Amino acid sequence: MGGADRNERKRKQAAAQARLKAAGITPKRSGPSGNTLVLAIVAVVVIVAIVVGVVVTLTNRSSEAAGPAPNYPVARAGAVITAGQAAAPVTVDIYEDYLCPYCERLETAYKDQLTTALNAGQIKVNYHAISILDRASSPAGYSTRAANAAICAADAGIFPAYHAQLYAEQPAEGSAGFSNDELTSFGTTLGAGGGFGQCVAAQANTGLIETATNTAAANPALQTNGSFGTPTVAIGGQKIDVNDSDWLQNAIAG
Amino acid sequence: MREVTRGRVLDGIGTLARLGLAAVWLVSGLIKALDPAQTYVAVRAYDVLPREAVSVVAGVLPWFELALGLLLLVGIGTRAVAALSAALLLVFIAGVTQAWARGLSIDCGCFGGGGAVEPGQTQYVQEILRDVGFLLLAAWLIVRPRTLLAAERRLVTAGSGSGSGSGGY
Repeated sequence: MGGADRNERKRKQAAAQARLKAAGITPKRSGPSGNTLVLAIVAVVVIVAIVVGVVVTLTNRSSEAAGPAPNYPVARAGAVITAGQAAAPVTVDIYEDYLCPYCERLETAYKDQLTTALNAGQIKVNYHAISILDRASSPAGYSTRAANAAICAADAGIFPAYHAQLYAEQPAEGSAGFSNDELTSFGTTLGAGGGFGQCVAAQANTGLIETATNTAAANPALQTNGSFGTPTVAIGGQKIDVNDSDWLQNAIAG
Repeated sequence: MREVTRGRVLDGIGTLARLGLAAVWLVSGLIKALDPAQTYVAVRAYDVLPREAVSVVAGVLPWFELALGLLLLVGIGTRAVAALSAALLLVFIAGVTQAWARGLSIDCGCFGGGGAVEPGQTQYVQEILRDVGFLLLAAWLIVRPRTLLAAERRLVTAGSGSGSGSGGY
């Protein structure tokens, strides 16, 4: 180890330091430095952001487990299932497809509010099962089969719980969806009688559902920019904007 | 003299990379934060996470992106934030790649949108290339975090107190 070697090493280190410095990278120093402060600020900002996100998520989810229990009558006319008292002052029409992920969002966000208002007789809700996403399952047709099963559930007296379950366990777009056997076992578990499985398997409501879908899609009052999609919510027959999260309270207030 | 000029040019490029990446996160984070239902549907469409985890990721992601964007805009911890950005972009690229490989037909939902699309309407190549472009911005800032108009320069000078003029952060 001659002095020349040491000098050479020092020179190389100094050059490396200079390169890092030019790049804006601080070599590690002992003790608290500006670097520590900077990283602390980064950590605080990132943690605050994560906490905000978690809080927003929990607030939106509200009371998933302890929602109000449905306590309202359900009637059916053709493909339309009406929940609530016939004499309720406000009529809400919900057009939904059981495979549509935004319909699941709508159900999850407003299920409790709707149940409360239905129980109190403030509204009645016409559920229109639409089958515009039949092609989005593989094999095609889950939307229609689920809509048929929901009609069977209305006839079997278990519609509110069945409707909730179809969304709570909603299959992904592109998947096969639930088989008729699975759709049947959901209903049986919820207390449907022996005829329910036959009703699900027979798919006798397919024609009703197709007609209802075409009628809804052709109704200008349910369109935005000339096109119909799900979910669509109408108050008194006119489509409203559900991005306004107070839509239901506004409708009840008149 | 020529070294100094070259340094300033590199500082300028770094500044553009920092502000560009900041804009990416601020825009994409804001769009996602303003439409939580859309964000949930977009995350769910990747079909990777259980529903509970989807709602947490969809809830946190917009705010995380906004935090990264804000820090880059102000210029605090540029190197660390660029590293976080690169990690997040790699996760996005992995997500799009697995969707592509599994034959799902979804929109990445990178800047709003998202969810299932018709087969044949997917844009996986463009989406991945775009993310790779953003990744290059992050990579530049990891290798050379020195930029102009960065708040951290003042913080470091104040924080180190030694007045050694290290110029690094």
